[in-house]
Amino acid sequence: MDKFALLQFYALAKREVLEHRNLFVGAPAMVALLILVASIWVALQLEQAELAAALEYLAILFDGLSPFDMAPFFMLLAIPFFATLYVCSVIYLINTLYQDRKEMSVLFWQSMPVSNLQTVLSKVFTIVVVAPIFYVLIIFALYLIAMIWLTLLGISNDINLVGIGWMFLAALTSLLFIYISAFVTSLWLLPSMGWLLLFSAFAKKTPLLWAAGVFILVGFLEDFVFGTQYLANWVESRAANPNQYFIFDFQSVFEKLFNYDMLFGLLVGSILLAGAVYMRRFID
Amino acid sequence: MTNIVEAKSLRKNYGSFTALDGVDLTIPRGSISGLIGPNGAGKTTTLKALIGLCDVDGELMVAGRDPRVARHKLMRDVCFIADVGILPKWLKVSNVIDYVEAVHPRFDRKKAEKFLSTTDIPAKKRIKELSKGMVTQLHLAIVMAIEVQLLVLDEPTLGLDIIYRKEFYDRLLNDYYDGNRTIIISTHQVEEIEALLSHLLFINKGKIVLDALMADLSDMYTEVLVDPDMLAQADALGPIHIRELLGKKSYTFESVAKDQLEPLGELHTPTVADLFVAKLKENRDG
Repeated sequence: MDKFALLQFYALAKREVLEHRNLFVGAPAMVALLILVASIWVALQLEQAELAAALEYLAILFDGLSPFDMAPFFMLLAIPFFATLYVCSVIYLINTLYQDRKEMSVLFWQSMPVSNLQTVLSKVFTIVVVAPIFYVLIIFALYLIAMIWLTLLGISNDINLVGIGWMFLAALTSLLFIYISAFVTSLWLLPSMGWLLLFSAFAKKTPLLWAAGVFILVGFLEDFVFGTQYLANWVESRAANPNQYFIFDFQSVFEKLFNYDMLFGLLVGSILLAGAVYMRRFID
Repeated sequence: MTNIVEAKSLRKNYGSFTALDGVDLTIPRGSISGLIGPNGAGKTTTLKALIGLCDVDGELMVAGRDPRVARHKLMRDVCFIADVGILPKWLKVSNVIDYVEAVHPRFDRKKAEKFLSTTDIPAKKRIKELSKGMVTQLHLAIVMAIEVQLLVLDEPTLGLDIIYRKEFYDRLLNDYYDGNRTIIISTHQVEEIEALLSHLLFINKGKIVLDALMADLSDMYTEVLVDPDMLAQADALGPIHIRELLGKKSYTFESVAKDQLEPLGELHTPTVADLFVAKLKENRDG
């Protein structure tokens, strides 16, 4: 890929972020704000002595422990952000190609020397690589505010802050695993991404209804004709059980990335994405 | 003069509606071509086909490429402005410039900014905050700053007031057209672009009903304000259109020698608008 092609791709990804900043920045910022407000509310319900005791407990708990060992604790705290990211990703993927056609701006985008493959790939790249960065940055900002608050609280209550320092290190370490988890999960869910983009490119109206309706119809036909439920079972195995999305150590990154089930999913996802590129060719 | 567009037997159906019914057309390189037709005639479908936004059957080459195969490569040589405000409403003016600069290898940012400096368009405003005239000015500024072979304009001034319309075409002719570039304009406001055109295409019901150089029109078509005592002779020469004008009858003839027409009455070349009406009625009646 030459330098100009890289700049083109950067501009395409930047366009996605600008257009969908509410989903990539606004939504996680809102979640962070809610968590912050809820935390302050809980703190206000506690007596000063209870608050100091809780802080001291945390300081002792984290003191001297490996940040890698304690990172999973903070991963669990990030669950609301994961849930928000998945919901926002679905909203983004099902609307992104459809919205261009609906408001006719597709005529402008298509009047530029950018291929449909580049366009669709930039949307996948935005979900897999870019969106998690914003979520992680906002979680980092939340942790930073929490740490400053706890530090001030610790100083005012004469509590040893070394343990709080370890806690912050664990929180920072968790950010790395939060990002990796979001990245690997996106690849794991590539067939869903391809399916949503396919109907976003295809549907003249209500793309979500099309995506859900055709899926249900295909599953029903499989059951009716062959008496099997392979499709439903396969999708359930990928979509259910949220803890399969979390990665707590580097070893599991390779295990989750390099296995036949993941590669098969990438293949199916790529075929569906090719379908979205094909559908995007003509605007009528 | 070589052709920048060559199309043969273009066909397109939307369900039972035939949008293009075997369109044959050639656009000479360096021309300003007007694609004129009534609503639903197939103008927009033709233009979309030229830039690869619409799948059509038939042979089609634009700037040496088939638009259906490699649209993104073609768009390095072709620019397009549509009849609707197609710039994304959520973008700021500066975002549009940044985006085009990043994705188009032939975009000259300084040119675009110089053009914009002559307008009232603020760089920090979003597209949705601009008037339709300003959006068109912005789009024109972008297009004028791109070095391409072919500019395709689909009803570019639709909905604009007379000041913006006049300024648009003045800019296009004075600041953009250099004799080497080709411009295709589709419109039904024929009078406004008549003076600009060097090539004329009429389209009706998905068919090209006229394809001629403006320079050839006066040789091909003659309008005669026929003397009342010469009506029978005029009828005998097979006019393509007859209309009442100031109590007299005006006949339009196609490919009839001038010396045959001179005895009938006062001769002149029909305006594009009159010719348009004549050809459409001929097409409808005959």
